[in-house]
Amino acid sequence: MLHQSHLLEESPARSDRCLFNPFVRGMLITQDDALAELFHSLAPTERMQWERFVSTVGAMERLFTDPPDILVVDDTLEDGTGARFVNIIKSENVYRKLPVVLCLNRDELQGGLLWNQVEADDFLLKPLDPAETASRISIALNRSVRSLDANPLSNLPGNTSIIQRIQELVDMGREFALLYCDLDHFKSYNDKYGFIRGDEVLMMTSRVIVNTVRSMGLEYSFVGHVGGDDYVCIVPMARAEEACRRIIANFDPILPSFYDPEDRDRGTILAEDRRGEKQNVPLMSISIAVVMNHGGKIRHYGAAAYAASQLKKLAKEKEGSVYVIDQRLS
Amino acid sequence: MTDDLHIERKDRILQVSDLPTLPTALEEVSRLVEDPSSSTDQIAKVIAYDQVLSAKILKMVNSPIYGFPGRIGSISHALVLLGFNVIKGVIVSTSVFDTMNKSMAGLWEHSVGCALACAEVAKTARLKDPEEYSVCGLLHDLGKVVAAVQLPDLKTEIDRRVAEDDLTYREAEQLVLGFDHERINAWLADHWHLPLMIREGMSRHHTPLRAQHFPAAACVVHVGDFLVRLFEYGSGGDDNVPELEPKALRLLKIGGAELERTMDALSEKLIDVASVSFA
Repeated sequence: MLHQSHLLEESPARSDRCLFNPFVRGMLITQDDALAELFHSLAPTERMQWERFVSTVGAMERLFTDPPDILVVDDTLEDGTGARFVNIIKSENVYRKLPVVLCLNRDELQGGLLWNQVEADDFLLKPLDPAETASRISIALNRSVRSLDANPLSNLPGNTSIIQRIQELVDMGREFALLYCDLDHFKSYNDKYGFIRGDEVLMMTSRVIVNTVRSMGLEYSFVGHVGGDDYVCIVPMARAEEACRRIIANFDPILPSFYDPEDRDRGTILAEDRRGEKQNVPLMSISIAVVMNHGGKIRHYGAAAYAASQLKKLAKEKEGSVYVIDQRLS
Repeated sequence: MTDDLHIERKDRILQVSDLPTLPTALEEVSRLVEDPSSSTDQIAKVIAYDQVLSAKILKMVNSPIYGFPGRIGSISHALVLLGFNVIKGVIVSTSVFDTMNKSMAGLWEHSVGCALACAEVAKTARLKDPEEYSVCGLLHDLGKVVAAVQLPDLKTEIDRRVAEDDLTYREAEQLVLGFDHERINAWLADHWHLPLMIREGMSRHHTPLRAQHFPAAACVVHVGDFLVRLFEYGSGGDDNVPELEPKALRLLKIGGAELERTMDALSEKLIDVASVSFA
């Protein structure tokens, strides 16, 4: 996966080396008291709390209204309701992200559980070992943040990671530059060429941004894919303008390859504009809005996002690939 | 030749996994990717002198895993999109011909010469993006390399026929293999999802009037191949100058005086690269 290599930055030193950070809310479904006891003892309650249910019936409603961070199902419930329960959860897009761990007896594996039909993320074999269980729970939580937050098209980290990363920097009072990139006239291209070719352009754009930022040898950087034609990069303030220039210099020459020869030669495509009227629309370009966190003045992720969206409007008004930098020092 | 044998040979050719190259460009690129101050432009300049490295890079960037197959025909664009990690991966997985015979070195020179010739012809014909035409020229004889690597016994036989029976390389290929390097180029271009323009340049340079989608690319490589053989720069495996299809020049709207000027410009370029050694 591309994924971790985007987080070139060293993680901030954590004073406490606990497996569970931030606080974790687990849900456990089991009839086995000893098993429940083991889960409760994995971590102090200020780090992790388990809500226990003895059957899937009561658990279902709780889960639908207030989903936990992780779900552990003891499949030695009666006649495989555990696996069925898991599949109901996993078939709903809203709950798909929820990591699910099954507790099994070794003999259940002999029968060959069909993992393509049981949508669990991991399993534990009984009798459970406390240290192994803690690690498996931790890895399941981390994996779900990493993989399910990834944009399905580009595999770049998505919104959750982006917000988390920005908030971390804000909390540390770090200076950084937030680059908000999006494509101009992408919608017209998508309408004319179809979404499959639209996706090609988004994949190309991901590669351009990631490789450009990576090749700069920055002390830290991050690239995320908000979705559609919106991307976010975090780079040191001193190199932000250079990053913008390089992204544009790499993007502009490659882009025309994604048009048919006649459109490329004309430099425009005939497509409907936002009002539904046929217009000659220019080839796509990339606009970058840059928010600088001078002196760590930004207190919250939302403020950074708002500033970026305001700047984006400015950048969008200009023809061609441009970047706009917010230099307000107030 | 039976159909079965034909299919079997085609399969052998498409199974090409290790396409070795000459040490020259490989060593230079290896040095550049290890140096953090290198730019993709510097690397692109070196890779543009090596048909095998260029083909590998284009094959890589156009593979479906990247999500835009058949779109990228420029080496410098490919390098931006692949990034240093992947370029390094391609470089370390490329080996060098262990038995370097003279004909291979000659083929590398001929390919580079053809790339330069195509760029000049494209400029004369006022075509956009001459770099894409030079890539067509660079790769126009790749099928010969792949056949030599995948079907070495037959390659020996082709060389023997060329030497003893006074055949062109292409005639000998058709006799020995049952198909020629144009056909192999078409198979490779399809198999590797190369852009259609490059496919036509590679697979129609001897038969430019049969190009359906990008006749200009086929005609440019046809003329470029003719010119570089005229100058006897490198070797395409035989010492014939192929016949020039006059309609190809007409299609490119290149007249006699312009062809003269193109040849002058090309001879300058060939003198510049004469110092590059391939063996």
